This record gives sequence, structure tokens and C-alpha cells, in this order.
Amino acid sequence: MSSVYDELREAAELAAAARRSPERPLVRVDLSTSSIAAEADRLWEALEPLAAQHDVELVRVGTLGLSWLEPVVEVERPDLSASASGGGAVVYGPVRTEDAAEFLAAALGDNPAEDASRWLIGARTPTVGVPPLADHPFWGPQERRLMRLMGIIDPESLDEAIAEGAYGALDRAVTMDPMAICDLVLAAGVGGRGGGGFPAGQKWKFLLGAPGPTKYLVCNADEGDPGAFVNRVLMESDPHLVIEGMAIAGRATGSDYGFIYIRDEYPLSIERMQLALDQARARGLLGRDIFGSGFDFDLEITRGAGSYVCGEETGLIASVEGIRGMPKIRPPFPAQRGVFDQPSNVNNTETYANVPLIVQHGANWYREHGTESDPGTKMFSISGALERPGILEVPFGMGMDELLLGCGGGPPDGHRPKGIQPGGPLGGLLPASDLGLKLERPPFTERGVLLGSGGLILFDERASAVDLTKYFSEFCEDESCGRCTTCHGGSQRLVEVLERIMHGDGREEDLTRIGAIDRTLQNANCLHGQFTPYAVRGLVNYFRDELDTHIAEKRDPARVAPGLTRYLIVDPSDPRLEEAAALCPTACIARAPVEADDESDEGEDGAERSEALGDWRIDQPHCIHCDVCREIAPEAIRVEDRYLATLSVV
Amino acid sequence: MERFAGLLQQLPRAQGEMLRALHLAQEELGWISRDAIRLIARHLRVSEAQVYGPATFYAEFRHSPPPRTLVTWCSGPSCRVVGGDRVRRIFEAEFGCRLGENTADDELGLWLGQCNGTCEQAPMVWVNGRVVGPLSMVDSVKLARRLKAGEDVIEWPRRPIKIAPATFVDAEATYGSEHEHEADGAD
Ligand SMILES: Cc1cc2nc3c(=O)[nH]c(=O)nc-3n(C[C@H](O)[C@H](O)[C@H](O)COP(=O)(O)O)c2cc1C
Ligand code: FES
Repeated sequence: MSSVYDELREAAELAAAARRSPERPLVRVDLSTSSIAAEADRLWEALEPLAAQHDVELVRVGTLGLSWLEPVVEVERPDLSASASGGGAVVYGPVRTEDAAEFLAAALGDNPAEDASRWLIGARTPTVGVPPLADHPFWGPQERRLMRLMGIIDPESLDEAIAEGAYGALDRAVTMDPMAICDLVLAAGVGGRGGGGFPAGQKWKFLLGAPGPTKYLVCNADEGDPGAFVNRVLMESDPHLVIEGMAIAGRATGSDYGFIYIRDEYPLSIERMQLALDQARARGLLGRDIFGSGFDFDLEITRGAGSYVCGEETGLIASVEGIRGMPKIRPPFPAQRGVFDQPSNVNNTETYANVPLIVQHGANWYREHGTESDPGTKMFSISGALERPGILEVPFGMGMDELLLGCGGGPPDGHRPKGIQPGGPLGGLLPASDLGLKLERPPFTERGVLLGSGGLILFDERASAVDLTKYFSEFCEDESCGRCTTCHGGSQRLVEVLERIMHGDGREEDLTRIGAIDRTLQNANCLHGQFTPYAVRGLVNYFRDELDTHIAEKRDPARVAPGLTRYLIVDPSDPRLEEAAALCPTACIARAPVEADDESDEGEDGAERSEALGDWRIDQPHCIHCDVCREIAPEAIRVEDRYLATLSVV
Repeated sequence: MERFAGLLQQLPRAQGEMLRALHLAQEELGWISRDAIRLIARHLRVSEAQVYGPATFYAEFRHSPPPRTLVTWCSGPSCRVVGGDRVRRIFEAEFGCRLGENTADDELGLWLGQCNGTCEQAPMVWVNGRVVGPLSMVDSVKLARRLKAGEDVIEWPRRPIKIAPATFVDAEATYGSEHEHEADGAD
């Protein structure tokens, strides 16, 4: 350790320790985007005066990842520690603002396991009388490396980070030969976490070998894949890990400046990263002559503005330059010509975040987990039809069923898994029978999908695979940069075909047409267009029955396509129909005027039926299939296939 | 507008400041007006078309004044598999405007949003930037009606995001040396 770092660490440890006395309880409140969505900021305000009353220290932390239980609060009580090396940290949630006082009193009382049982999740560290969090299905299988400090340290305090060892790896790296760092990262086998999986060490060597003097690093925190929020959690919960990783990469590649490109949808990430940069700079962890080694490095943030293709590395570079974020044809690769035409390197946030751990613990340690093709651990964000959506870190190679059904608990309310959507809009679709796949790249690629950047969405029989495919195709159309007609025209045609199918106008030859669009899109300029057909390919390959039913029978088994279904009143005597009518957004549920009865609009489907059943009617052309009426009066309303019902009439 | 013009002067005169300048305009003025485009072009020493390009390429930049209450509908897949598309249809019907539009009086707007990973709240919308979810369909109708009646309006919680311009590597090294600094104060 350099004496500069030594001093820094000592000072930080003192400052961090000053925040808490050994006897005083510590109350950690998860303040992250997910918890704030569950009103954790209001909870914090309610807890502030209470903390003073109870004489406890209130600490802002990032997230432990238990998103479905937000707002999560951890109470650490040294007096309840069940181990000599500390302990007594118990995790609770969800803690509602209105329960703040009651909760705190119970959690700080004599018997929290019992008194605070309605909030109790488990003990993160050994605690007398509280079952360990490790027994929780969401927590047990995890291997938390990147997430080691998340939800535990204050992401807005550099002292806490340094006291836990942050920037120690950078201190070592500045004395290392750049090529040695590249070799180390290559030996560890860190694959790019943005989806491509390209060995980071290899890419760094390209940049190291590129002519200087100006070289740039770019951190890709655009995380455009809906359902993926790995990078967000990293930046919000442990921002210094990302900064340290980039600084080490700077040392390894001979680059002295970097850009962190964060999507605009992540305001809290932007705020915390900016604060972390300022703090690091103020302590000399960024800037000139870091640790007296002569190594200069600094970073700035580029705030995105809502564009998916800007996640593609050449698009990202264009966006950093302040022009439209349109991808370019590679080569030249960024290492040849990147930001402002200078040699550059783009890596995902999580890729950089792994680096300090490797420098600290070595390549062999890194490879203790994971598989041959994908060593190490990976953060996954799981959502969709799940009992327990959230974010977690597991070794590569774990079974997807273990993650989604084990940790995530599978679909709620006894629904059955129908399929999985991995890797974002370009990732494709998998059937539930593939739940046993190992979470590493090769088995996914073999099935024609992408494991991607860590978002996994489970859907059950209530969702329509055709509708999902249409959504992803629309997304790709919307987000196409427009430079090549192949891509924007191709995705437009794809959406048109799918829309038509969902309207009951599907034709047999549509399958041929989809195939032709697929083949055409493969010639698009960039990966956005080339991967656009992955979703529809998944539909054709794995959900063929459903697609055929749409086309041949004009029927949607999931009954979500408005064009293929209709809402009918089957029990007009249900008194709740009154309320349903009042809440119907288009006022299409109404009592038919009595005198209209004898005219009974001839031929109009279902007319006879509603007349026979009574006087409530749904005015079909105005029904927007919003399901409000069925939610209110589930027995009185039925969703039926539109065409089976009319075929007999027309 | 004057305040915006003043703040704009503090940004380095470089193409790389484009997104910062546009964000500044939207934060200060609420939207990117024609005048803002002209000012940015002059300050960054680029043509108006070079500002107009990015200003219209990126979905976040608005080209009309924002509504008083903005409902951003999450278009994401986790929301969609649990009824998100129905939520959109409900808000469209209740507000009487399509996705991407404001009501005629600019009181309410319904815009498309991308998943920000609060999927455990699915299906959801943001009301003036604050997550509201999970929404049943009945909840959605009731929320839309309360907003129409001017109730339940959530104040924008946003603290303005400040992003510091480059610090130690001077702008010249970062952005190349063309047309910088020498023109300072000319406007
Ligand atoms: C359309 C498109 C969108 C992408 N979006 C992202 C993204 O949001 N985040 C990301 O890290 N990589 C994204 N990528 C991958 C990047 O192009 C690039 O491979 C990655 O940032 C390299 O970093 P890595 O090697 O660390 O993965 C995207 C690629 C494409 C084609
Ligand atoms: S899909 Fe709506 S928040 Fe993620």
C-alpha cells in the first residue's frame, strides 16, 4: 500500500467509525429508485424525528435487491449479535410510512423477532433469536461479490466506501505495468456484461496498443433493455466501485479520461455518480498524479436523453460527441477510432465494476465461480410474473429455473410459467420448457436467443406471446435510428404483419413473409436491425401453436388481443354492473332503452343474446377491452373469442 | 429565457456540450423551443440544423410546452405481461388524447415512458415523475379521473440534476481545439 492510500484509509475509517458508536443501533433505510417508488423517501422523513427519540443512527443505503419487499429497512443492534465478530443486523420490509413509529419501537424492543414479526425478513448477520437471511430462498443461492456492500454502505459517503476497502485495488494498479493489468483481466476471463461477452482484457489490449496520446474510456450505463436494471443498482448502491474500475482500466489502457454515459431515466444514478465523482476528485482519487504515482485520470458524466440505439457502442460514442446517436458500421472499431475520432474503449458498467475485485483477489479467485465460457458471477434483474421480483447476484451456470422459480418464486397465485424473455428487446423469447437452461451464454445462443445484460422476464399463461412479440417489434421500430431502410422499413413491415394477425386478418402466407423480413433484417447496418427479428423468430420457433391459432382460427388463447376477443355480459342481474358502468372509461356499458327492444338491430352479433339475458349491454364498437368491468363484476362479464361467436351469425 | 441564455454561457463552446445544453434548455424552459435551438446553435458555433438533429432524435426532448400534470405510461414488458397495455387504453379514453399528446387545455398529458426497473410495481405509470403502481384497471380509471378533477396532483420531486463540466483535463484536450474560447464573450 502506498503511504498516501494508507493515510486516506485511516482517515476514512475514523470518519466512518465516528458515525456510529459500538453500542448504538444503526437503522439503514434503502433509498434507491425501487424503494422510492414504494415511498421510502416519505418513510425516511417519518423516521428522522423517531431516530432522534430512540437515539439511533439513521443511515441512507442503496439496495439489498429485495425489490418486492420495499421499502426495506435494516436494523443493526450490536446487543443482539450472536457472533464474536459482530452481527445483529436484521432486515425488515415492507415498512409503510404510517407504520414507522410502531415498527421502530418493535424492532428496537426486547423481542424484535416476535414484536416486529410482520415486517421480519431475516438476519443478515448472526442475530440472537432471528432466522438467518441465508435461509431465505431469494438470498440463499446468491454469491454476492459486486453486491457485497450494496444496501450496507451509504452510497453517498466516500468514507464508508474507503473504510470497506474501496480504491485499494486502484492503489495497487497504479504501480502495476499496464500490460500486466490487461493480462490479469484476460486471465480472469471477464466477458463484457453488455451482452456481447467479449473478453474485456482483450479489448483493453487493443486500446493499449493504439497510438496515443489521447485515448478515451466510455462506460456504457445506457441500460436500455426494459426489464434490466443491473447498472442502475450498481450506480445507486456502490458508485465508487464503478469509478475505481474505470480508473484501473485507464491505467491498463494508457487512457487518462473517461465518460460515463447514463440514461436519463436514471436520475438518481446520475445524481449519486456525480456526487461520487466530486468526492473522489476532492480526495485526489481522480485527477492528476493519483497516489503520487504520476497516473492522471478523470471522468465526466454524459446524461443520455432517451434513445435505445445509443446503447450500441458506436451510437453511444456519437451521443457522447453530442450528435444524433446513430450507430456506425464497424470497422473502424472504437479502439481504432472512437470518441472525437480518438482511440477509445467501451465497456458496460458491470464489466468495469468487476475489475477492482480481480485486482484485489486475483484471477483464480474470480474463476472460483462460474463456468468455462463465463467465469465469475453475474447480477440479474428478474421481473414479470414473479412472486419475488428483484435483483440478485449468482454464479454463471446456475439453472434458470433455480433463479426464476427458486429465488423468484415463479408466477404468483398458482399461474403457470409460459415463457421467458431474456436479454431485452433483441434477446428473443424462450418457452417455459427451457427453464432448465444454465445461465451462461452458449446454451442461450444455441437456442437462438441472447442471455444479454442481465434482465430476465418470466411470463405466464395470462400473457400472449404474439402480443409480446408485437411489443418488441414496435420497440425496435420506434428505436431504429433510421439510417438504414433495411432496419426501419423491415421493423415497420414486421409490426404491420403482427398487427394484422392480432386483428384476425392473419394469412397463411404471413409465415413466409415473416421469414423474408427476418432474412432481410439480417442485412441491416448494425446489430439493432440484425437482432430485431430475434423476438419473432422465438415466436415462430417456440410459440408456433399460439401463432397458428391466431392465424388459422382467429383466436387468441390468452385473450388479450382486442381484435380477437370481445367482452360480453353473461349475468345482467349482477348488481355490480352498476358500478362497472359508472367506471367504464368509454361509458359503453349501458342499459338499452326499452323501446329499442323490438327493433333489436338485426344481424348485430350478440344482440339477441343480450336481449334474452336482460337490459345491460356492452356497446361493442366502443369497448376498449380495458377489463375494468370484469375486475368489478367477474361473474357477470366474460371475455369471449370474437370470431367463433360471430362465425355462426354472419 | 434570459436566465437560460446566461446559464448557457457557462458551458464550454464545444459540440460535446450539445446534450448538456439541450437538457439545460428543457430544465429551464420546460421544452426545447425554436428560440432555444437558435441560442444553443450560436453558443456552440454550429448550425441550427446541427442542434435540431439531436433535439428531435432523442425521445426525452419535448417540442411543445409540458402539461401541468404529466402521466408517463410505462411501455415496458414486465408491465405489459400484467396488463400494461390496458392501462394505456384507459388513460387515453379518460383523458381524451392519444399517447404522446396533451389534452386540449394542456392540463394533462399522456406520454410514453421506458422501463426504469421498478418492475415490481408493474403495471405502473409515473405521475409527474413519481411512480404510481401496481395499478389494477379500476385503480387506473380512478386515478385518471382524480387527475382530471385536479386532485392527487403530485409535485415534481425532481431536484435539478447538476452535471459538472469537465474539470481537470482542459476542454481543449478533450474536445479538440477548434473554435473554442477565442470567441468567448462575443455573444
Ligand atoms: C441496439 C443495441 C443496444 C445496446 N445497448 C446496450 C446497453 O444498454 N448497455 C450496454 O452495456 N451495452 C449495450 N449494447 C452492447 C454494446 O454495443 C457494447 O457491446 C457493450 O457496451 C460493450 O461493453 P462490454 O464488452 O463490457 O459488454 C447494445 C448493443 C446494441 C446492438
Ligand atoms: S416494465 Fe414497467 S417498470 Fe419495468
